[in-house]
Amino acid sequence: MVKIKINDKELQATEGMTVFQAAQEADIPIPHFCYHPAFIPEGTCRMCLVEIEGMPKLELACSTQVREGMKISTHSDRVKEARRGVLEFLLAEHPLDCPICDQAGECKLQDYYEEYGLYENRFVETKDKHEKKIGLGKTLIHDQERCVLCRRCVRFLREITKTGEMGVFERGGHTEVNIYLGRTIDHNYSGNLAQICPVGAITDRDFRFKTRSWFLEEGKSVCQLCSRGCAISVDSHRGFSRFELPQRVYRIRARHNPHVNGDWICDIGRYGYAYLDADRCRAIKPPSGQEFGWDESIVWLKDKIRRLKDRDQTERIGVVLNSGLTNEELFLAKKIFRDDLGAGQVFFSDPPSGEGDDLLLTAERSPNRRGAEEIGWDIKPVDLEALSRNAGLLIIFGPYFESSHDRSGISSCLEAIETKVLLTPTSGVLDEMMDMVLPTVYWAEKAGSSTNIDGIVQSFQPALPPLGEGRAEWRLLSDLGRELDLNYRYYQSFSSPENIFRAMTGEIPFFEKNGE
Amino acid sequence: MNDDKVLSRFFHQEGAHTLSAYLKHEGYQGAEKALKEMTREDILGQVKAANLRGRGGAGFPAGVKWGFVPQEGDKPKYLCVNADEGEPGTFKDRYIMTFAPHLLLEGIVITCFCVGIHTAYIYIRGEYEHVARRLEDAIAEARAHGYLGENIFESGFGLEVHVHRGAGAYICGEETALLESLEGKRGNPRLKPPFPASIGLFQCPTVINNVETIANIPHIIHQGADWFCGLGLPKDGGTRLFGVSGKVKKPGVYELPVGTNLKELIFTHAGGMLEGRTLKAVIPGGMSAPILTADEIDIAMDCDALVEAGSMLGSGAVIVLDDEASMLEVLRIVTDFYSHESCGQCTPCRVGNPWIRKMVHRMAQGKGRPDDVENIGRLASNILGKTLCPLGDAAAMPILSITKKFKEELEASLAG
Repeated sequence: MVKIKINDKELQATEGMTVFQAAQEADIPIPHFCYHPAFIPEGTCRMCLVEIEGMPKLELACSTQVREGMKISTHSDRVKEARRGVLEFLLAEHPLDCPICDQAGECKLQDYYEEYGLYENRFVETKDKHEKKIGLGKTLIHDQERCVLCRRCVRFLREITKTGEMGVFERGGHTEVNIYLGRTIDHNYSGNLAQICPVGAITDRDFRFKTRSWFLEEGKSVCQLCSRGCAISVDSHRGFSRFELPQRVYRIRARHNPHVNGDWICDIGRYGYAYLDADRCRAIKPPSGQEFGWDESIVWLKDKIRRLKDRDQTERIGVVLNSGLTNEELFLAKKIFRDDLGAGQVFFSDPPSGEGDDLLLTAERSPNRRGAEEIGWDIKPVDLEALSRNAGLLIIFGPYFESSHDRSGISSCLEAIETKVLLTPTSGVLDEMMDMVLPTVYWAEKAGSSTNIDGIVQSFQPALPPLGEGRAEWRLLSDLGRELDLNYRYYQSFSSPENIFRAMTGEIPFFEKNGE
Repeated sequence: MNDDKVLSRFFHQEGAHTLSAYLKHEGYQGAEKALKEMTREDILGQVKAANLRGRGGAGFPAGVKWGFVPQEGDKPKYLCVNADEGEPGTFKDRYIMTFAPHLLLEGIVITCFCVGIHTAYIYIRGEYEHVARRLEDAIAEARAHGYLGENIFESGFGLEVHVHRGAGAYICGEETALLESLEGKRGNPRLKPPFPASIGLFQCPTVINNVETIANIPHIIHQGADWFCGLGLPKDGGTRLFGVSGKVKKPGVYELPVGTNLKELIFTHAGGMLEGRTLKAVIPGGMSAPILTADEIDIAMDCDALVEAGSMLGSGAVIVLDDEASMLEVLRIVTDFYSHESCGQCTPCRVGNPWIRKMVHRMAQGKGRPDDVENIGRLASNILGKTLCPLGDAAAMPILSITKKFKEELEASLAG
């Protein structure tokens, strides 16, 4: 550790750390464009210049390492003057088309101009014209007039994906970032370029002109589309009072998690958010002739289970789970169906696996398989014949059962079962064959925790409110456990996923070791 | 005057560039002495004691630079001779390479022996095609006679020298951009630190010196540091090849002791102003050096004296402007050049120079505005000291000095 002073504040900094990092740790913001923690500093934007006592010139915060006794000023008049100068240069040839720019509202140029700007335009020359709509591939559009040449995009493609589709062309004032002849950026990580662009130079075709950033609310969650479990932000629109919007979610962005995904997510996770709004199951579909809320539904289900339990026929209970459930839900399901009831048949019905890559995406497309295993589930795929044999009650979690087998097989299986209940976030073909359908929610709408492929446990809070009557499965399971009255006290304490997780850490060493 | 000449003393002779001619002028004797009789420490000591300051522009002491190269470690080390000679007004290195290529090669041999280098590159500006060919010939000749290659002077020391031609970018004369270019990349300057002495060419320790700097080495070794200091100034030893251009009677390269008076250089050596012309201003060290007015030229041409006068000795290229020179036109040439040659990676230089250029061109069209001159100065100040490499300063310094010293003339051009 070394002792340094930033703006007269005494600080301890780790040796080898840059001034920028030390300032960041002390919550002292230093404006920057080209610096990004994932890349080697290039020091080209010149925005992060700070004053260091004893140095004749202003020095780069992004690349200068701290030394014992270093005294740094990040907001002296000289520093502010330099920032104003750099901003004036960056804005001189800038098209100032913020009213039609998707980056507006979250643009570093705007933010810094607010803070350090000149508020007077001295540039009276004719602005240079550049290309405003270069297609970089399926997902991205490049506007060279807005580009501040930070080269984050070029470095991402060179250092992270190692695909190198983009480069710097020409020289001096004609310098431009562009895509190499004949190349397109169509790999699974393209969307990150729009996210790391500090200005509106690379925009997302998926997001362009759809909404404005200031209407969006950021919710933090974990991606559930593969078993990597990348940290994400779900940006949603609360809507307007006079008309309904076609969607709530307008984009997904990567959220920093050094242990899982760093600063990136894949395009499957980024652009695959339509499921959060499409074909959702919003209302309880009660047994015919009934009008049920959640309480009645749970009591009804409890009665069905109790009837079998009282006759010692719990082996006639079948359950189809999925490893898209959270740790807490899988834990409660195990407590109730396996430990308390000894259900006859428990299967898992998961989304089919796909192809993984060597960056983030895993072949396993079910997000919490590792969690299910650690909790002690034997993940068996659905055996229709076993499921239908002498079955009295079938409880299906999730939407994947309907695609696990062919329709006729599923139909004849279900016909053989007396009572069938489906808990699902989406409407599907099975709904009509069920006695009761209960609307559940996706990860983005629930709290809980997940265990990724590497055994990393992450907890998350709802990023979105549930749709309609939708409710998280952990709540249904905790209510059901209590209503069954087999171990009332135990389930009574499970009023939140945090409480459930606490019980898990006491019972399963893995979660005690890896709990947050 | 001829007695003072060191580097250029046989430039004028027929076939001066050949090995046989060079051998008649103590050729390769410095290298022989160095390799046979001296240790690396001895050589470094001599070069340090000679106070040989870099002839490329920055004037950094060569011996100190060599001393920065770490001697431990198993990475190869490299020498890059900067023969890019891009600074406008500069044409001295071309003379050395054209008329005394073996002098450069001998300097390279001694330098490499001293620092422990076995591969040297001469990065030569692309336009110097004939000079590059002459260097190639000289290398082949030296190699054939055992002055390059393996086991030079039976010392066990081996060295290969390669000529690499640039592709016409001023920025590749900046030492780290030169390294990038030599590695086959876009010639963008690197962020320093790390300095090339520790991480340079191909990530290995590297010495980068100007042609003229290296060409002084054989003489320092052959005749000693004291002799060398005696030629120039104690803190700034030897002679300099001053390239005089502009409205003088005898433009050309003049080898004179460091510290020669600028006025003497122009009016005695270069024959004074052309008939009927009077001196208006002098750019004393290549275009990036701040301009001196006619009143300021009674000054010693050494690194420190010129810095004190607010300018710099740079590459020793003296550009003489006469009374007919329009300062707006000078400014136009300066800004045209730097806008064109900015590598474009860092903001102040990339945007600032073309912006100033646009203003100057507008002024030249008679569309100047009252605050233009002041704004040009303000923009140049925002470039000065804020860029990644010295090109920003190289552009800002002349612009600032011209707008300050010739403010009235420039503002007069705004009227009407």
